[in-house]
Amino acid sequence: MAPFTRPMVARKLGYRYVLTGLKQELGMPQKIILNINGKDRTVEAEPDSMLLYALRDNLGLHGPKFGCGLSECGACTVILGGAAIHSCVTPLAAAKGQKITTLEGLAKDGKPNALQQAFIDEQAAQCGYCINGMIMTAQAFLDQHPKPDRDQIKQALNGNLCRCGTHMRIIRAVERVAGHGATQEAQ
Amino acid sequence: MNSISPTLSRRSVLKASSGLVIAFSLFAPGEAAAALPPTPDGVPPDAAKLYAWLAVHPDDTATLFTGKVEVGTGAETALAQIAAEELDFPIDRMGVVMGTTSLTVNQGPTYGSMTIRYAGPQIRHAAAAGRQALLDLAAAHFKVKADRLVAKDGRISVQGDAHRAISYGRLVDGKRLDMTIGAAGKGFGMKVAPNARVKNPATYTVVGKSVMRKDIPAKITGAYTYIQDVKVPGMLHGRVVRPYGVRSTLISVDDGGLKDIPGFVRLVRRDNFLGVVAETEWGAIQAAEKLGSVLHAKGPAAGPVKWSDWQGLPAMDAIWHTVRETAGTDTTVAKTGSVDTALHGAAKVLKATYRTPFQMHASIGPSCAIAEVGKDRATFWSSTQMPHEARHDMAKLLGIPADRIELNWFEGSGAYGRNGFDHVNADAALMSQAVGKPVRVQWMRWDENGWEPKGPPIVQDLAGAVDAHGNVTAWRHHMWIPTTSDTELIAAELIGKPRIVGSVGRGSPAITYAYHFSNADVTSHGEGRVGLLTAWLRSPAQFETTFAMEAFIDELAAASGQDPLALRLKHLTDKRAVDVLQAAAKAYGWQARPPRGKPASGDGNAPLHGRGIAWANRDDVRVATIVDVTVDPTSGAIRVTRAVVAHDCGLVVNPDGLKNQIEGNVIQSISRTLHEEVTFDHSRVTSLDWIGYPILRFEEVPDRIDIVLVNNSPEYPSYGAGEPSTCPTAAVISNAVYDATGVRLRQTPFRPNRVKAAMT
Repeated sequence: MAPFTRPMVARKLGYRYVLTGLKQELGMPQKIILNINGKDRTVEAEPDSMLLYALRDNLGLHGPKFGCGLSECGACTVILGGAAIHSCVTPLAAAKGQKITTLEGLAKDGKPNALQQAFIDEQAAQCGYCINGMIMTAQAFLDQHPKPDRDQIKQALNGNLCRCGTHMRIIRAVERVAGHGATQEAQ
Repeated sequence: MNSISPTLSRRSVLKASSGLVIAFSLFAPGEAAAALPPTPDGVPPDAAKLYAWLAVHPDDTATLFTGKVEVGTGAETALAQIAAEELDFPIDRMGVVMGTTSLTVNQGPTYGSMTIRYAGPQIRHAAAAGRQALLDLAAAHFKVKADRLVAKDGRISVQGDAHRAISYGRLVDGKRLDMTIGAAGKGFGMKVAPNARVKNPATYTVVGKSVMRKDIPAKITGAYTYIQDVKVPGMLHGRVVRPYGVRSTLISVDDGGLKDIPGFVRLVRRDNFLGVVAETEWGAIQAAEKLGSVLHAKGPAAGPVKWSDWQGLPAMDAIWHTVRETAGTDTTVAKTGSVDTALHGAAKVLKATYRTPFQMHASIGPSCAIAEVGKDRATFWSSTQMPHEARHDMAKLLGIPADRIELNWFEGSGAYGRNGFDHVNADAALMSQAVGKPVRVQWMRWDENGWEPKGPPIVQDLAGAVDAHGNVTAWRHHMWIPTTSDTELIAAELIGKPRIVGSVGRGSPAITYAYHFSNADVTSHGEGRVGLLTAWLRSPAQFETTFAMEAFIDELAAASGQDPLALRLKHLTDKRAVDVLQAAAKAYGWQARPPRGKPASGDGNAPLHGRGIAWANRDDVRVATIVDVTVDPTSGAIRVTRAVVAHDCGLVVNPDGLKNQIEGNVIQSISRTLHEEVTFDHSRVTSLDWIGYPILRFEEVPDRIDIVLVNNSPEYPSYGAGEPSTCPTAAVISNAVYDATGVRLRQTPFRPNRVKAAMT
């Protein structure tokens, strides 16, 4: 099998890529190099398979979660090229060559980063299954908008679903890092 | 490891020592769960032994073992607090092992808001016995009488002699805590260490503190191992291919297209059970998709799998008629005087019907399990909320003795009742049995939404009368409730053995009446399965029945021009009920007035504002909720802007953990009230994703949720708090919308189109 070298023919629907053509090459496992959390990692998988499964099953990065496979809930969110994207609908072929950050990659020197620490300080989780998506979406948002107000935070997270109802705490955690919350006041 | 930080405690290491202590790690990411040692058999430890509950390790850490499980509610931390309190041991050095059947005592399922309430005292007594056992060891060590010893923070010292002190870890010296502490009874009712002397609650220093939850740091960093993250050596991946219709039968399968899928292993077919197994998760997903497991399936015979065209579900818009017509058993909840007579002569009589739809647990993560089934033994990795029961269920399904079945428990996505977590055990079991290897099965989103057991649709008729003095003189509340306790397994039904595990159950009178009405007739008509598989969903049937009860009393208040709080208080003598209502009113700043029933002002397009109050008693918990809402008259959209909750669950173990639960209950029940309805056609559920089954989003959450804890005092035992604060929400929103608009909403969900239609 020749390596996949042609430009990818993809149509972007929101976060969702729909591949057209090239099914045969894309449908067979190949060695693919991904840049994850600052390191090149090689996975052997079908280029048309979704990034989420390579992260979880091939690389043991369990931060991103399978929630819907439909780009509807946000549990699988990772940061790719600076944007929060849904890894459950992002084919490996589209992730190749891009810088990818997962929840595990946020830690600094083995410690939770500021946003993660804010989630811990606010006790902003119940079951926690959605929390990967909350943190990764908020992190990508804060990287672009360091001082959002509460409504902007809500809008940024509006595509992420939480079933336990931890929203109030999640908002407060993001506010801490956004310079509006308790951390800032305490300092 | 010298210390266990909260971050690490969940994966705390129980160190091996001369084979006396069970050794395993719970579990670094990517590590095989099979790191568990083979146990000689799958039977749980003897509850009468101290080691069944506690281990103390040479590094001065300790482990609490409990058959209860964490479901996102903070039970792990709260139970550890109870144990640490009685053991006089630092909470941050105490790890917890939950659920795994060979390591924990069966304390009954983790449901019904009964964990702190029933398992709490069991653990309290076990830990108190543990403390006494350690004092006895220390007495022998120091050769002094035990009453001269002081236990504190995991150390025992001789009173008045600071140099004579020893840590628990050194004292126990790696040995198993083999002492007999005694235990009698089973499950919730088990009495553990009945002779242990427990502390006076007035002296508590750990119980009652907002200890940071043990599970949260790893959940935030990605280090936590959910059931979905467990890997077992040699594990294959499975997916189910469910029938097109709920009771469609399998006619034929053309599996020709499957062999080209990389890593495809085999098709598993038993009667109407169909699954695919592959070496990779993606391969299994591709194979299932080929066989018709997709979001928008085209029809029963449109793909390579032909199902019969079953169309036996009742019409969705007539489901309450179906519920009303379904045979069942009547149970009297309250009966006093003669309602018919009182209604006949009353000045003011109201009648109303309340309807609530099928709703779903709608977990963010679909159900997942791993099974490794051999000829005469089986191992499961599961997120079930009833691990010990599930072990016996799997024994029945597989025909393997229960003592050769082990279930390793891992937390799953929050389930709020019984979602698919027990059903997926059976799916994995059948697939593993077929291929002879461990198989991990995770449902797809449409499997979860389509097949998880639902909360049932309920219809309720109410009638009431108020006299000239504003007294409620007649109250009738009739409810028709399908089962909320169906424990049959989908896979067992599909292989034609529906009765092999569980039972259908019957809807039960879900409501407790504290109101005193001179003429009352409260009757519940309990039914079996109606249409779809139904089981317990957070505060099963109580959410719905509280809606009718508490909205209808608001109707009586409005009709008689009374303040809705005052009318309630007039008919209540229960002190704790009165306490929560008054505490909520005080925190809110409640001013007495009747529900307005019409917009206060406005130009027709401006948002309308209203307030509502409601309360519930759920078992021994009292909770009162007040909300402010705004209603957008142009769209019909409702937003809850503020919620005030007064909550009495007795003595609180972890106040912040409790508040997290209450906030969650409030937000989730707002979601259920405003948005949620399972849709279906005559064949199948059609709300198979988050578009079809929307839940509340960030932009809709309240600006404030204020929580007041009432009767948080050693005078009261700790009752359960996982569910009760869900109960008042639909009523309180309905009441607030009436206050704002004059429109009385009696059918959930209150979606904008329905609200707008009612307003015009």
